[in-house]
Amino acid sequence: MEWYWAFAFMLGLVISFMALGVPVAFAFVATNFITVYYFTGFDWGALIQVADNSTQLISRFTLGPVPMFILMGSLFFHTGLAIKVFDGLDAIFGRLPGRLCYLTVAGGAIFSTLTGSSMANTAMLGSLMVPEMRRRGYSNQMSMGPILGTGGLAMIIPPSALGVLLAAIAEIDVGRLLVAGFLPGFTLALLYAAMITFQLFRYPDSAPAYDVEPMSWGARLKLVCTNILPMGLVIFMVVGFIVLGWATPTEAAACGVLGVFILAVLFRALTFSAISTSVEGTIRVGAMVFLIIMNSTVFSQMLSYSGASRGLIEWVTGYELHRYAILFMMFCVLILLGMFMDATSMMLITVPIFFPLADALGFDLIWYGLFVLITIEMAGTTPPFGLLLYVMLGVAPKGVTLFQVAKAAFPFLVCDAILILILCAWPQLALWLPSLM
Amino acid sequence: MRAISVAYDWLINAMKVLSGIIVVAIFILITSDVLLPLTGDLLNELGFKVTILAWEGTLGVVEYGLLWYTVLAAPWLARIKGHVFIDAVNELLSEDVRRVTSKIAYIIVIAGTLLLAWFSLNLLIEAYVGDMIDERSMELKLWWIYAPMPLGFGMVAIEFIRYLIGVDDMFGSRTDVKEGM
Repeated sequence: MEWYWAFAFMLGLVISFMALGVPVAFAFVATNFITVYYFTGFDWGALIQVADNSTQLISRFTLGPVPMFILMGSLFFHTGLAIKVFDGLDAIFGRLPGRLCYLTVAGGAIFSTLTGSSMANTAMLGSLMVPEMRRRGYSNQMSMGPILGTGGLAMIIPPSALGVLLAAIAEIDVGRLLVAGFLPGFTLALLYAAMITFQLFRYPDSAPAYDVEPMSWGARLKLVCTNILPMGLVIFMVVGFIVLGWATPTEAAACGVLGVFILAVLFRALTFSAISTSVEGTIRVGAMVFLIIMNSTVFSQMLSYSGASRGLIEWVTGYELHRYAILFMMFCVLILLGMFMDATSMMLITVPIFFPLADALGFDLIWYGLFVLITIEMAGTTPPFGLLLYVMLGVAPKGVTLFQVAKAAFPFLVCDAILILILCAWPQLALWLPSLM
Repeated sequence: MRAISVAYDWLINAMKVLSGIIVVAIFILITSDVLLPLTGDLLNELGFKVTILAWEGTLGVVEYGLLWYTVLAAPWLARIKGHVFIDAVNELLSEDVRRVTSKIAYIIVIAGTLLLAWFSLNLLIEAYVGDMIDERSMELKLWWIYAPMPLGFGMVAIEFIRYLIGVDDMFGSRTDVKEGM
């Protein structure tokens, strides 16, 4: 079979199954059995390989950070530590126009260093900030946009559970990819703040200033010291341990969980209920994602076995297109897939195809991994089916439409695109920190 | 029949609880792997002549644990409609067509998971009878890695048979946002 038919056959099958409503993990299972049966010349005995090979990727130590990061984030939210961070930040901003928008960006960036889940981040920021913003007369645009933008930062700023998955599937260094997201993530947060300032300049009434209870500088400093600075322990236990080479990403992730435990004990916030809810959340999200990965392993192997991956690479590189033109095409495909697919699924379908291609085009794979993460983040806020839009819609007041949510997200998508351009022009922004490792 | 149903529900929950215990165990194993040698070094610097080594089996056990954690939770996830699916196309279909497509989707899952359960059972028996060893950070019995798969995937098939015969409808919550990362 020619590579393009093999490619169309495999991709067509898995996407058709998904479109039918077959859960993603099982769409891969069905595709695997059909393609292995077909490509091995209808050999029933070869099907045992589907079961055997599905255990390969899932039982790797490098995937260990995923449940740990989810557990860490869940504990952070369920023990109430997240609220403490917010209280601390709230004290810093005085009577500033659009203060709640800036607070969202600052809080979201800090949350992102403590959780690995953008959906949890968006849900947390949305439920916390939207009611307050509405009460203070903020427009829809100003109340939802910063939250949607900032929520996605968790995908880029370490610890990123999605980053670990991407690195494990693409077989690149997990630690380097995680650390690579640190500076671009905070650059993105600054771009968001700049965008808010620009919007406030254009529409001053969209986020009116209001009086806040006066607080002495001493009291502010105390709140920052008690509520924000201790979180540095967790950040150090994850990012610091990886950069300093004291621990592998999996070990650093477990140490991060320990850090949240220690803080929760110190703040007397650790309860059995918080632990059990967090563990259940870790099973709900982590096991679901792992089951998809488990069954997509064979799919990647079959893409390679059938010659589809190699054929596609030879075909694309055969044209004398500039590599950034091909990068732009990959960007469009990811955005398009993200319109109706969740992050993990689109990653699992595209990684076996895109990563070898990016490698052949001479892109640094750590840099490219970060590019994929930013694009996936953008895709999550793209209508009509971007998941973060629905999370936002879930916490938005009644009457708000999906169109309004998407419109509010748009300026922040522009910021994401600017970050990608900055990274293209200056890759060291992402690659400098990993080079120290 | 009712007793079987109660026992089956209990089993699903027990497997979920075991999955949670495995997550906590993974956390404890990895942190002790990092902290024990550090504690030993610290005690040595304080003048105590002790050697504390990390357990060499951590890596292998954690790797097996990740698979067990995933497979044991699969039936519970099927029960709570926690397996992520795409409903963008289904949303566009009429109620009658959607009823047909959902049945086809259930049948595909049942067929796939039964095959997976069957072949993993074969692998399990083969590894057990052959007393096969998996060389990781320590020697592990290979059949341990396959052990949860026939049960886990078999039970997922049962959950989707429940959907197929109309006990419940997986697409009933299709407008809900699924949790993810």
